[in-house]
Amino acid sequence: MLVAGIDVGSTTTKAVLLNDGKLAGTHAMPTGVDLAAAADECLRMVCRAAGVDPDRLAALVATGYGRDRVTDAARTVTEITCHARGARALVPSARVVVDVGGQDSKVIRLDDDGMVADFVMNDKCAAGTGRFLEVMAARLNVPLEEFGIRWRKAKEAARISSTCTVFAESEVISLLSHGVCPEPIIRGLCDAVADRLSGMVHRVGLGGGLVMTGGVSRNEGVKRSLEEKLFVPVTVPEAAQFAGAYGAALIAFELIGGQVQN
Amino acid sequence: MMHFGTPSRFRQMVGRAAGGAARQTATRGARWTVVRPEVLLRRKWAYKVASAALPLLEARGAKAYQVAAIRCVLSDFADAYLGRKPCIFTSAFVPTELVYGLGGVPFLPEAAAGLAAAFGLAARSLSACEALWYSPDLCSFHRAGLGGAASGLLPRPSAVIVTSHLCDGGKRSLFHISRLAGCPFYMLDVPYVPSDRATRWLASQIEHVAGDLARRVPGLSLEGLAQALRRSNEALAEYERVSALRRNVPAPWLGSEALNYVLLFLWSWGSPSLAPFYRALRLHLERMIAAGDFPVRDERHRLLWLNLRPYYDTRVFKHLEGDRASSVAFEEYSFAYWPSLDPCDPFASLAEKMMSNFGWGPIERRLEVIERLVDDYSIDGVVQFAQWGCRQSNGGAAIIARELRKKGIPFLNLDGDGVDARCGTEAQAITRLGAFIELLDARRGG
Repeated sequence: MLVAGIDVGSTTTKAVLLNDGKLAGTHAMPTGVDLAAAADECLRMVCRAAGVDPDRLAALVATGYGRDRVTDAARTVTEITCHARGARALVPSARVVVDVGGQDSKVIRLDDDGMVADFVMNDKCAAGTGRFLEVMAARLNVPLEEFGIRWRKAKEAARISSTCTVFAESEVISLLSHGVCPEPIIRGLCDAVADRLSGMVHRVGLGGGLVMTGGVSRNEGVKRSLEEKLFVPVTVPEAAQFAGAYGAALIAFELIGGQVQN
Repeated sequence: MMHFGTPSRFRQMVGRAAGGAARQTATRGARWTVVRPEVLLRRKWAYKVASAALPLLEARGAKAYQVAAIRCVLSDFADAYLGRKPCIFTSAFVPTELVYGLGGVPFLPEAAAGLAAAFGLAARSLSACEALWYSPDLCSFHRAGLGGAASGLLPRPSAVIVTSHLCDGGKRSLFHISRLAGCPFYMLDVPYVPSDRATRWLASQIEHVAGDLARRVPGLSLEGLAQALRRSNEALAEYERVSALRRNVPAPWLGSEALNYVLLFLWSWGSPSLAPFYRALRLHLERMIAAGDFPVRDERHRLLWLNLRPYYDTRVFKHLEGDRASSVAFEEYSFAYWPSLDPCDPFASLAEKMMSNFGWGPIERRLEVIERLVDDYSIDGVVQFAQWGCRQSNGGAAIIARELRKKGIPFLNLDGDGVDARCGTEAQAITRLGAFIELLDARRGG
């Protein structure tokens, strides 16, 4: 039986296809301004790549901030639940999930059964989110994909004291105007994000495997800064970006009576 | 309820009658007359029209308790804005029996800020406050209250009374209001640790304030104090029945609506209108329970709500009570924490009421009440509305969360703002509440 999960995020829309509970395909694309169209297109693409007709889907579960725009969804589920389910399935030892998306970040504590025991989300501003890093990358004229390499090249981190995206951007401009190279600034920015995230991790309780998901998990700089702050290894599964959509697909599989092993 | 936000024939009529108070605006080619609220609130005929409209509201489906609540507010607003009685501004936890008992009318700028938000009038007050150099980081209930006073939206006070307990911002913003109005300012200093001596000391302060007000403000006297306490007791007796009825599973009343009436709960003790309101509410809840007619269909979870709510238009509660079929079964601020008052010993009795406030003193006091409410109202999860800038409530959140989790009660800290919509994101609030309900579902194996 074919089921799918779709995660309509603020920046990227992701779809995951399952066949009898096994991963059958993934697809990601920019969300753009028409959320419903992005969801339709993403679903069509993942089905096309797997050579299946979207009409054959037995169930579809939607998540992400645009979840309510997915009209064909049998159920909508929040990103917190879906990322928890997806991360646990990808990394069975996961106890704490750090999901950093485009517009928010969340830290989720799982119980022994893999269910959400507690969670916190970033409060009141964009600090510690993908959007924060996007703005800084644009200002530094460095592609986000290069943040990891540049982070490794930095001998020290520049001090970014503000957690406000706008003020931090002005700090970056000030550092550049003082001749500071992009590398320590990038490390300082990753440290600033990791600072926020580590505080959130301690709020739900550090312990057990720590897994990072969401688009920012591909940024090795943030991962390494977080490891330095928390003194624990951070696991980033290969399909980290798809954790939310994968969790949604697993819930869809359960909706049609499938059994998911946690 | 009166609405100032949408054009209507009624408003046209109101605008013409208000004469110079009105200003003209063009909407989609038609010319509508909009009356400035601060002017409308000071027109005698506005209260006559509003009172005359109450039976019409009832005929159109408003519940008797809702009409009673409007009557209660209208009566106090008419007294305050038309100058029929000396208007005494107070902070949220001053016992209002004192003001009613002296023959005045209380006015709570913090509660008025909630009303202003509900009517879409808060933005102007917030801007007016910021123009006075107040930081947007301060609690918006105080900012909007002060801004409302500065911009003329609030009535003119004859005196201001504040207490030292709970909100620090309240006494400072109200002190500023007293300077703007040029009226006497009194602060009741509430001891942090309860004791007989502390209560006696507070009672002596209340007695001094009452005596001073009676001497300085024309129209005030101590004669009605005992009667105000008797009225308060009468309302409390009705209210305790209301609270008992709310223990029913499923919940007989929408928590989102109950949170609106918290403003009345803070404002009206000692008013002749409060007991009739709670009586009407009790009868309504009894009918709902008897008929098995519950506002949240197939109630899945029962929540305890800490602190206030967003008073501006928001989808948060529609999502919670509708889409998620979860009730706010009770609210921290709806808990009547004081014993019945003694009309023969009013000052000691009011002091005891103030000292009983569980939000004051060590955090264990608040925690004890929260745990009691969790048991009494069959609560599945606790939501703390983390009001932007609120120190007194947010300060204890970590300890409360930890202690509740020890007892297996999930806790959600929900960031937001009760008055200033700029300080919160609706979509994030909905996601957090939704995830919290999913967490509760999972615990139940759903």
